[in-house]
Amino acid sequence: GRHVIGETLQQLPYVYCHGSSQRRLCSVSQRLQQSAQLSTFLLELKTIVEVCMKSRAGSFAIPPPQYYSQLISEMETLGWDKIIFLDTNIQTLKLKAEDSSGRQHTLSIKLKSKHPAEAPECSADLPVPLNLTWTPQSSLELLHSQFLLLLESLAEFWDVLDEIDQKTWILEPEKPSRSDTVRRVAIGSNVSIRVEVDPRHPKMLPECCLLGAEHVVAPLRNKLNANMHIIECGICYSYRLGTAIPDQVCNDPRCGQPFHQACLYEWLRVLPSSRKSFSLMFGECPYCSKPITVKMVTQAV
Amino acid sequence: MALKRIQKELNDLQRDPPASCSAGPVGEDMFHWQATITGPNDSPYHGGVFFLSVHFPTDYPFKPPKVAFTTKIYHPNINGNGSICLDILRSQWSPALTISKVLLSICSLLCDPNPDDPLVPDIAHIYKSDRQKYNKLAREWTQRYAM
Repeated sequence: GRHVIGETLQQLPYVYCHGSSQRRLCSVSQRLQQSAQLSTFLLELKTIVEVCMKSRAGSFAIPPPQYYSQLISEMETLGWDKIIFLDTNIQTLKLKAEDSSGRQHTLSIKLKSKHPAEAPECSADLPVPLNLTWTPQSSLELLHSQFLLLLESLAEFWDVLDEIDQKTWILEPEKPSRSDTVRRVAIGSNVSIRVEVDPRHPKMLPECCLLGAEHVVAPLRNKLNANMHIIECGICYSYRLGTAIPDQVCNDPRCGQPFHQACLYEWLRVLPSSRKSFSLMFGECPYCSKPITVKMVTQAV
Repeated sequence: MALKRIQKELNDLQRDPPASCSAGPVGEDMFHWQATITGPNDSPYHGGVFFLSVHFPTDYPFKPPKVAFTTKIYHPNINGNGSICLDILRSQWSPALTISKVLLSICSLLCDPNPDDPLVPDIAHIYKSDRQKYNKLAREWTQRYAM
């Protein structure tokens, strides 16, 4: 019997090669010499091995097999095409999601070894906190659909910023990310305007700050302040309609009359001179009769 | 929405009233106004004050206001009920127009009747064939009903 145990112990150093284990190993050899019976020694050895295992559990927890089978079935329900990254431990995933305007987004998920009992850590490039709800009954698919809903609620915000990015010369940030709510736009030599858009109310008047030499900036600031309050819709005569502002403007430079999208659509909708094409309505500006286009709105004014 | 716009038009009218017209709500109902037009100097209606009723539809300004004379007037484009034949009150209405602009258009209609699109063909005929008789009758009606 001692022979067999001796051989086993010689293999132990390969398994437990850390310092503390090494010390324990010496005591194990001693105990082996001192043990009167093999069964007593084995009990002692079991205790030592358990202590060793526990002390290392924190650094590398291998999830139980159910974790993997659960995860594979969740990924199948979600659809493999939505998974763009999976690390070798199968603990970190990246899911792709597209919003209604065709923008691509990524949801990073770090799974816990007690998945799905414990909520995974999620992160994404968003201008608002990512609050996804998780219960032990949740799945990757539920997480993904929550993420899509959140993206849709921000679509208007990104539409506004995409338009700014397309139509202006952005000085800062150099490479705007989806979470950036601020843009610094060049408006002249050494003059710029810093615009901050509220992700939850993107169509509201943004925070504006003019930057540049005071003698250049002051007249611009006065103009901006003066015009901000006289902008009103040419149909309903107000600035705000719900949360909307009169952002549809007649393109004729001599007219330039602003309208709310809903008001203009409501007016053009019933005119025989207007015509519809896909989601656009083509008609005449009620003020100057020049051609004007408006996107269709589903709800009436 | 209609109410807000009507309120705004009223404010603008009070702040900057047009020369020959006035208008305002009859009572509490903002959708029902009364307006007055003073007869233009270079017309047979000179010296008269004409009352009109204005009813704003609930979907104003998508639909035009209903404007009618309550004072009798001798005019080829205004009939016995006070109905006015004016394109901007029907097919040519635009939300770019206001009640103030409508009243000013009615003023110019008083100066320049449109006998080719008459509401009262008899008056249009007299206007075209015997202008003196038209002027005389229009003046008489103005003195009788609008002074």
